[in-house]
This record gives sequence, structure tokens and C-alpha cells, in this order.
Amino acid sequence: MAVEALGHAPRPPGVLTRLGASLLDGLQILGEATRLFFATVRAAAFVPADRQRVVVQMVRVGTDTLFIGALLSLFVGMVMVVQAADQVREVSQDILGPIVGLAMTKELGPVLMAFLLAGRAGSAMAAELGSMTVYDEINALRTMDIDPVRFLVMPRFVAATIALPVLVLYADFIGVWGGAAVVVADPAITLPVSTYFARMLEWVHFTDFVVGLVKGVVFGMVASILPCTFGLRTRGGTEGIAASTTAAVVWSFILILVFDFLIVRVTFALD
Amino acid sequence: MMAVAAERARGVPVELAGVRKAYGGHVVLAGIDLRVAPGELLAIVGQSGTGKSVLLRQIVGLERPDAGRITLGGIELGEYLALPPEDKPFRIAMVFQSAALLASLTVAENVGLRLRERGGHTPAEIAAITRRVLEQVELAGTEELFPGELSGGMRKRVAIARALAIDPELILYDEPTADLDPILTEQIGLLIARIRRLRGSTQIIVTHNLPLARAVADRIAVLAEGRIAECVTPAELAASRHPLTREFLRASALAG
Repeated sequence: MAVEALGHAPRPPGVLTRLGASLLDGLQILGEATRLFFATVRAAAFVPADRQRVVVQMVRVGTDTLFIGALLSLFVGMVMVVQAADQVREVSQDILGPIVGLAMTKELGPVLMAFLLAGRAGSAMAAELGSMTVYDEINALRTMDIDPVRFLVMPRFVAATIALPVLVLYADFIGVWGGAAVVVADPAITLPVSTYFARMLEWVHFTDFVVGLVKGVVFGMVASILPCTFGLRTRGGTEGIAASTTAAVVWSFILILVFDFLIVRVTFALD
Repeated sequence: MMAVAAERARGVPVELAGVRKAYGGHVVLAGIDLRVAPGELLAIVGQSGTGKSVLLRQIVGLERPDAGRITLGGIELGEYLALPPEDKPFRIAMVFQSAALLASLTVAENVGLRLRERGGHTPAEIAAITRRVLEQVELAGTEELFPGELSGGMRKRVAIARALAIDPELILYDEPTADLDPILTEQIGLLIARIRRLRGSTQIIVTHNLPLARAVADRIAVLAEGRIAECVTPAELAASRHPLTREFLRASALAG
């Protein structure tokens, strides 16, 4: 009997089957995110009418990220100076300003703030929308002829897309000053802080800020549309909400890095 | 608009013909034929997992049937759903099992949500309608509370108030008394009966609570094995000889 039962037991799916299923699932998520993105862009025409909801979301994004963003940027700027000073001790500490300035404006500011936004505000978006999906609140909106994309997704998307470039500038500013603090306080660094800033201003151009801001806009879109996508496709109660939230953050991190690479490639091609 | 809302609304007929729905090969609705008259209160009963809520979701358009035809007020469901909200000739409201109130909004904001979002009403009108429907569900004074501060029964009544606020011609209830004690169940039953008396909207209640169905419905449809086993008056139901109905009645008596 046991042998017979064993004979009828379904074989676990092989590696290739599981890989294929994951790939299809991933493509479906990307498809849903793209469709939601275009629906949200169309709904953005209602921003003037829905400005109050957008402002509420911007305040939430700000509350979630401002303090920890400042802390993160400050220490990144400080660590960068300490690390770089050691690396360039045989050459010249003159390049400490350009290193911190360029790294913060073009790369670290946008990526750090995008990760922060995805991890804090994005996870909250996925959890909130996931809970609303599971408990039929989204369906309730639909039965009331209220478009969930306009009512829920668009304000979050617009808020993140506006807030992230501002957060990037904020992170640039604090990171640069964090580096300056180490230049002043660290006895191993002989570079005058005025030279730190002067060299930085020589090397960091307006276009570098623009690249950082463009990244901020794109990452803001990614870090809001993916969590909203995962929130709206949540199934299966509390466990489903937790799984959606985690997946939303992981996917946001990956796509932020993918878009980062693409933007860097494009800007280098344009140079 | 408010004067209209205070008048007795007219219900719309609902017709289902050969409605089928399957999920991944598992047939839930195997061909539902049903006709609900304007102003009628129909209860759809059946054991858990027989597809009662699925049927309701097809009627309100949250899911589309694999086959079959649904008409509301003489209009094909797809056609009705495609109409811009302002052009819809009648309104449908649904009360969800979980109440589905938006947690971040107050009771008043939840109740007036559709009126506010769809426009056409001044804030004073919305406040007056909200006050009136909350009085109807005996929840006056709860306007500023959040759903998290309400009991399960109160949340259900707010959900009913939200449905009433748009003065619907068709109201669908998905397990309105689920998770409620007998006293709260009776309150909800009385409320549904009162809505029927005061308004005249067509109402469809999905429930596994047979006493509730018997108390409030004009007819009771027994859903079993993906089909309507029979659709009869409460008096006829008690005397039914249909084997699936008998089985459900026996199970209900055991449960309760």
C-alpha cells in the first residue's frame, strides 16, 4: 500500500521547471508594474484636483526618510573622507573634496536615498495597499466607481517622484558637510577645509547635479510603482501582506540598481 | 438630490442566465440561472465554499464570468460597467463581509466617500446625507471615529450606511452577519428589513445564516454544487423535498 502510494506521489518540480516558473512570474510582475506605471501617469492629470492627497503622501515620505536620511548621508560622507584620505596619503589630499562631491551627487546620494525610500516608504506602501487588497477595501472602491489607481497609487507615485530628487539634494548637502567635518577634525588630514570645498567646486559641475536629480526622479518612480504593484497583487491574508512587502523592497532595490546602470551608460554615451 | 434620496428608491431587476465560473479547472459556478424582481429581497444560502460570494462578485462586476449572461436593470453587465459613473442609470452598492471600511478615514469620510469623490454634492449636502444614513443605522454621533475604534457590528452598520449614502437601486450583501453574535445578527437583520421597508431597492444577501434569510427574504435561493438547487419562499423552503435543500437544512440545524 505504501509503495503504491509512493508510486502515485507527484514528483517535485525540477530545477528547470522552477526556474522557468520564476522567470514567468518575474515577467508577469514587470508587465503588471509597467501597466500600472502607464495607468498612473494617465491618472497624474488629476494632480491639481487631488493635490491634498499628494501632499499627505509627501509628508509621509518626508517623515519616513528625513532623519534617517540625514544620519545615513552624514556618516557616508565622513567614512568616505576617512577611507579616501588613507588611500591617497602618498599622492595628495586635494582630491578628497572632488571624491566626496562627485560620489555623493552622482551616485551615493541618489542610490542611498532611493534605497531608503524603498525600504521605509515603499514597504509601507506595499503593506498598506496589500492590506487594503486582502480586506476588500480596493474592491469596495471599485464598486463605488472610485479608481484605485487615481485614489491610492497616483498620490504615492507623484509624492515619491517629487520627494526623491529633493532628498537627493538634501543627502548631497549633508554628505559633503559630513566629509568636511572629518577634514576639520581628523588630525591625519592636513588639507584645509577651504581647499576641500574649492577643489570640490572645481570638479563638481551643474550637470553632475542634474544626473543625480534625474536618477532621483527615475528611482522615485521605481520605488513607488513596484511597492504599489506588489500591494495590489497581494493574496492570502497576513502572510500574503508580509510576502508582498518583502518582495516589493527586494524588487525595488534590484530595479533601482538596474536603472542606475542604464542611466550611467546613457550619460557616458552622451558625454 | 437630497429630496430624491429621501424618497422611496425603485429597485432594478437582476437576471443571470447560465453563469459559469471556474478557477484553474475547479468549477465553482456551473450554470446559474436566477431572476430577481425589482424591489425584491433575495437571500442566497448555501454551505461554506459553495461559491455564494463568487456569485455576488460576478453580479457586481468585480469578476467576470467565464460564460453566461448577467443583466442589471435590463442592461448587460459589461455595458453597465463600461458606462461613465455619471451616465449610469442606476447605482449599485455592495456591503462586504469584512465591511471594507478604509482604515485611514473617519466614519463620516467613509460614508461620504463616493459622494465626495464623484462630485456633484456640496460639503454641506454630503454632511447632511452622512448624518441621515448614520441615523438610519443607529450610529449617529460616530462621525469622527475611525473604523479601528468600532466594534465588528458597528463596522458592518457603517458599511451599510456607506451603501445607503449613494441611494442605490441595488444593494448586495456578502455575509453581513458573519462573525457577529446573535444579538448583533438580529440588529443587522432588522436593519436590512427596515431598508427594504423605507426604500424599495432590490437587495441580494449572501449568507449561510438560515434564520436571517428566513426572517428577511422574500425568496431564498439554495446554492449547491455550483447551481441554484431551488429558489422558493421561506415557507416553501421549510417544506422542500429537494435533496440538496434538505441536506443544507439538516446541516444548518446541526450547526445551529
